[in-house]
Amino acid sequence: MSVAGASAGRVSPQAIAGYGVAAVAAVLVLYPVFYLLQAAFDVGDPQIRPPTSYGVDNFEALFNYPQIMLNTLVVSVAATVMALVIGFVMAWILARTNVPGRRAFEQLMVVPYYLTPLLGALAWSMLGSPESGFINQVWRALGATGSLMDINTPYGIAWVMALFEGSVAFVMIAAVMKSMDPSLEEASQVIGASRLRTMLRITLPLVVPGVLGAAVFVFAEMLGSFAVALVLGTPNRYYVITTAIYQLIQQYPPRVQVAAAMGVSLFAVMFLMLFVYRRIITAGSYATITGKAFRPRVADVGRLRYVLFGLCMLYLTVAVFLPIATLLYASVQKIAVAFPAADNFTLNNFTAAMSMNAVRSALTNSLILGFATATIGVVLMGLLAWLIYRSKLPGSGLIEYVVMFPQAVPRLVFAFGMMWAWLVFPILIYGTMWLLLIAYLTVFLPLGVRTIAGVMLQIDKSLEECAQMCGASWAYRTRTVSVPLLVPGLLAAWLLLFIASVRELGASILLMGPHSKVITPSIVESWFGTASELTATLALIQTMVVAAAMIVMMMVTRRLGALPVD
Amino acid sequence: MQVTIKTPHIEVERLEVNFGSVPAVRGVSFSVVHGEQLTLLGPSGCGKTTTLRAIAGLERPRAGEIRIDGKPVYSADKGIDIPAEKRGLSMVFQSYAIWPHMTVFENVAYGLRVRRADTAEVKDKVEHALNLVQMSRFADRRASALSGGQQQRVALARAFVFQPSVLLFDEPLSNLDAKLRADMRIELRELQHRLGITSVYVTHDLEEALAMSDRIVVMRDGMVEQTGTPDEIYGLPCSAFVADFVGASNLIRGRHRRDLAADGLIALETPSGQVIFGTAYGRPVGDELIMSVRTVHLQISPLRPIGERNAWPARVEKTVFQGDFTTVHILWGDQSLIARCAAFDPLPAGQEVFITVDPKRVVLLGA
Amino acid sequence: MAHKVHGHFTRRALLKASAALPLVGIAMPNVLAQPMSKSPTKVLDFETNADVAKAEQEGQLVFYCHENEAGTAGIMQGFNKDFPKIKTSYVRAQTGALYSKILAERQAGRFDVDVIQLSDLAPAFDFQKKGGYEHYVSPESGAYKKDNLSSPNGYFFWTGVDPAGIAYNSDKVAAADAPKGWHDILNPRWKGKISCKISASGLQFVQWYMLRKLYGAGFWKEFAKQQPHAFDSRVQLYDRLAKADDTITAIGEYPAYILFKSRGAKVEFVAPPDGLVATPLAVGAVNKAPHPEAAKLFVDWAMSKRGQAWYQTNPNLYYASVRTDAPPMPTGVSLSQFKLLYPSDWDEYSKESPAFLKEWNGMLGL
Repeated sequence: MSVAGASAGRVSPQAIAGYGVAAVAAVLVLYPVFYLLQAAFDVGDPQIRPPTSYGVDNFEALFNYPQIMLNTLVVSVAATVMALVIGFVMAWILARTNVPGRRAFEQLMVVPYYLTPLLGALAWSMLGSPESGFINQVWRALGATGSLMDINTPYGIAWVMALFEGSVAFVMIAAVMKSMDPSLEEASQVIGASRLRTMLRITLPLVVPGVLGAAVFVFAEMLGSFAVALVLGTPNRYYVITTAIYQLIQQYPPRVQVAAAMGVSLFAVMFLMLFVYRRIITAGSYATITGKAFRPRVADVGRLRYVLFGLCMLYLTVAVFLPIATLLYASVQKIAVAFPAADNFTLNNFTAAMSMNAVRSALTNSLILGFATATIGVVLMGLLAWLIYRSKLPGSGLIEYVVMFPQAVPRLVFAFGMMWAWLVFPILIYGTMWLLLIAYLTVFLPLGVRTIAGVMLQIDKSLEECAQMCGASWAYRTRTVSVPLLVPGLLAAWLLLFIASVRELGASILLMGPHSKVITPSIVESWFGTASELTATLALIQTMVVAAAMIVMMMVTRRLGALPVD
Repeated sequence: MQVTIKTPHIEVERLEVNFGSVPAVRGVSFSVVHGEQLTLLGPSGCGKTTTLRAIAGLERPRAGEIRIDGKPVYSADKGIDIPAEKRGLSMVFQSYAIWPHMTVFENVAYGLRVRRADTAEVKDKVEHALNLVQMSRFADRRASALSGGQQQRVALARAFVFQPSVLLFDEPLSNLDAKLRADMRIELRELQHRLGITSVYVTHDLEEALAMSDRIVVMRDGMVEQTGTPDEIYGLPCSAFVADFVGASNLIRGRHRRDLAADGLIALETPSGQVIFGTAYGRPVGDELIMSVRTVHLQISPLRPIGERNAWPARVEKTVFQGDFTTVHILWGDQSLIARCAAFDPLPAGQEVFITVDPKRVVLLGA
Repeated sequence: MAHKVHGHFTRRALLKASAALPLVGIAMPNVLAQPMSKSPTKVLDFETNADVAKAEQEGQLVFYCHENEAGTAGIMQGFNKDFPKIKTSYVRAQTGALYSKILAERQAGRFDVDVIQLSDLAPAFDFQKKGGYEHYVSPESGAYKKDNLSSPNGYFFWTGVDPAGIAYNSDKVAAADAPKGWHDILNPRWKGKISCKISASGLQFVQWYMLRKLYGAGFWKEFAKQQPHAFDSRVQLYDRLAKADDTITAIGEYPAYILFKSRGAKVEFVAPPDGLVATPLAVGAVNKAPHPEAAKLFVDWAMSKRGQAWYQTNPNLYYASVRTDAPPMPTGVSLSQFKLLYPSDWDEYSKESPAFLKEWNGMLGL
């Protein structure tokens, strides 16, 4: 779909649509960033806006918190390593062996991520707290003393992060494995090398660059992780940068400037990581994204495949079934324990939850926002994807950077900038659902654009060019050829955006107002302000909504291949 | 006898196209007359597809001019660049570009619908077109359920159903297997003749080009090497590249022996002292010459031939049996020559033989 | 707005003859000093100066509150039950955060709040000074001691008192080892197993201030060695206590103790002999409110007997009322039975805020 056809002087409708949508994206992304930077460099009286003086004092103040930086590093590295191990093992099992039920497992592998990591954190908190955790209670009932595990430690936090946010690693490594030419390995085996030797000398080196890329990407994600550290780390005063920022903002008086400086530092690091990631991915001569998709050689592992099947089931149990079961178990008790007495059971929590106005309105708001975000998002991001990857309008490369920018900024930090940006906006947006809508559309830009672009790029350019050669104008061929072919992909993107917005936490928690409560931050508020049993109930209700949407999405995307993860 | 005046239908003048920052087409000029099939031939990367797409309007050139029926559709100097959908051309793509979400009928009908034809006309023309490509019984089939060859026919029908004056072909047969390719070649040629459409055809397949074209443009590295009829390209290559690309040939280098010129032939003396007579065909004659001898024109016989201008003793190095013909590697002086012979009785390696070649088949190459 | 003050006074005195007489002398100067637009009307069983019809027309009340979710929702539920035509919505955050939020909003020109409830008088004073409160004298003011109203009256009032002592998990702590006085929270056996509240909590500030006054600055330095876990709400503190995630809490609020005990949690409450720390809970209508009549109506309701009864009996609140004619708390205990520790000089107290924040945040690692 080239625009090599605009006569000099006349601006094509494509250009108008393209640049229009690019301007919208630029405003959405850059406007809050400006405010974030302004706050970070503001060294005057925090109560007075606009800032009276600028300086780097806030960044110097960061040196007062070396422990937080160290914590962030420890947790992120540990989580990345665990996620890579899990991802690699799972990817290997599902892509290279003949374990039964492969296709189903592949789809199920991303479920933990779509079930909010928050939920995983809540459940594992109930499972692994040293005193009240169910696992520890069972452990003590078996006669041991003390506790088997303490989930409120850095490694506990990393473990939960890896379990729930590690699906990214799996998706990326699986993609790398699928794009490897099996004949490379066959050549090794034909010469007589054993399977193990082949794996070590041929497969591993080929896969390593892609795994490295995944490692960098996952590390960047872990740096920006919020929910798990909030639930599991805060009680023990174990802060990482994101939770520290949250605490600083919530304190009285709020230390906004230091928080902003922290946020800016974090996003500088993440930006760097993502830059490195892109370099790794585009530099290699192993085409992972473009090029043919191979059918990797599936090894017959004989009896071992039942063991591997068990391994996959173990992962799903630990990451999906166990947490949900735990929450269910807790939600039907008055005071949640591992071995409840008969009179400890109650359905009160459910009735209480559903009767709470706050809960009902939060759920309603979340659903409405989900619909709005998904619908508007699909159109906006569809146009952006077309603009960046298909049109040949000048400057489209720059727009790609702008659109992918939110990837490098943790949601919480972005929301922080948005808070200030839209507070001073003349039209009343602050405190309303509109603010949340704008926030969601902004932070989901990378996810939506990437998903739709992925589908778009699968459609051969020649299909559109052919329509052009048959005489069809841009509007006509978009309507008759491009859009119908994109529909399944657009549908998948719609569902993805819906789920992402219902489970969103980092941005929502800062931007909610009295009339615009949404469900996931409400669960956090419940955690900090009510009994944990009630929180478990709320989490379950939210899970059911997300699960319903997920099932629909799985049915739709079964034809399209693996689900994307952001 | 009717004399049809062949006027230029498409003219390409000093076309330059960049692929990103890489120059893919570096000053290409040719013209296509009404009703002829012109083929752009060359190895991959030579810029032939890019040139075709520039004519179509799918690539934006850097410089030059493209005119259709005398009217510029692209001109760098005049700042004209008419969008592809308005140039009135039609194209068959290498990947067929069949739309999977439509039926065969709908695929073919697309161009007519764009032109707002009414239902009756659409039905009529589509059926006619499908008939021509023998795909009538697939009319209501989902287009994605067809085989490669079937898709190709549908793509073809779709391309000419709205009676364009020009058809552009981008390697349309390269995805088909050899047998099907051979059949489709003939069909395409017949169709083109029947409809009288001007065609620009891109291929890297020599046989295809020679079989189907009225004229061929041989391209290399973004530039034109030679333009001419298949006979001319084959029989009178102007450069070493063309000589070797369009059928295999032996290149013989040597000194010009003006003193041995006779009967309009020119003589070349190889470094090892052999003299070979060839024809200049109007090319400039210098002191150092290169001559091309096609492998199929070298004759081998065990006995010394009588009355031949070009006849030398030589030795067989090896023979490779290839079915319809045999490739024979011969040592001639200190140069290895390759001959291709049909119905050849095998000779052992080391056998002494004689080789002859008609001087008219020894072609002087241009500078 | 000209009005007959004299006539108003007479009417008021007639209505409240029996109860108000002893307070007339105190209330009067306030009444005289403040202009009143009209005489109070009776709605349900209390008096209000708000235009009830207009309030219902406004149809909404936006409430900013320090309470936890259930508590705030509970307060709103009570008001909404009595005035179903007024839709309630709220924002809850711990006092410090709540106060910063409203200040930031007002600074940016956003005036979306009708009523604010704070668990610390320091920000209440500050807000009054900044002109954040609407000046509105409720006809129910007569039922309160001067000390429990803003000075001058009409900005905020004490909607209740939140007393706190020590609480512990009775499964984990034998009665013999149980803490008895404030000094027991410094016992190293509780290290890593003791909880407190975050610095944004008004009650925590009061505790810091009062115990520091009583026992000296070294007290809290010792406490820091205990590496306490800090939380936002009393529900969290007791939740963890009930599950033995913490063994003891240094700031166990009495209302929450009642709630959890009634649920069967194994928790015990200790009232140290030196007294329970307590913070007043301040409610006031906000200036430039979007629904001013509803705001005034709420203040009157909260101050009224029925409002106070709601505050006292709602399980998520269980506040101790300071209304002079309030009945005892649901457990039968009356506020006067406790020795309460709270600042006498609120100005001096407010000035200590930065010191508190620095020490407390430092103790908690931020």
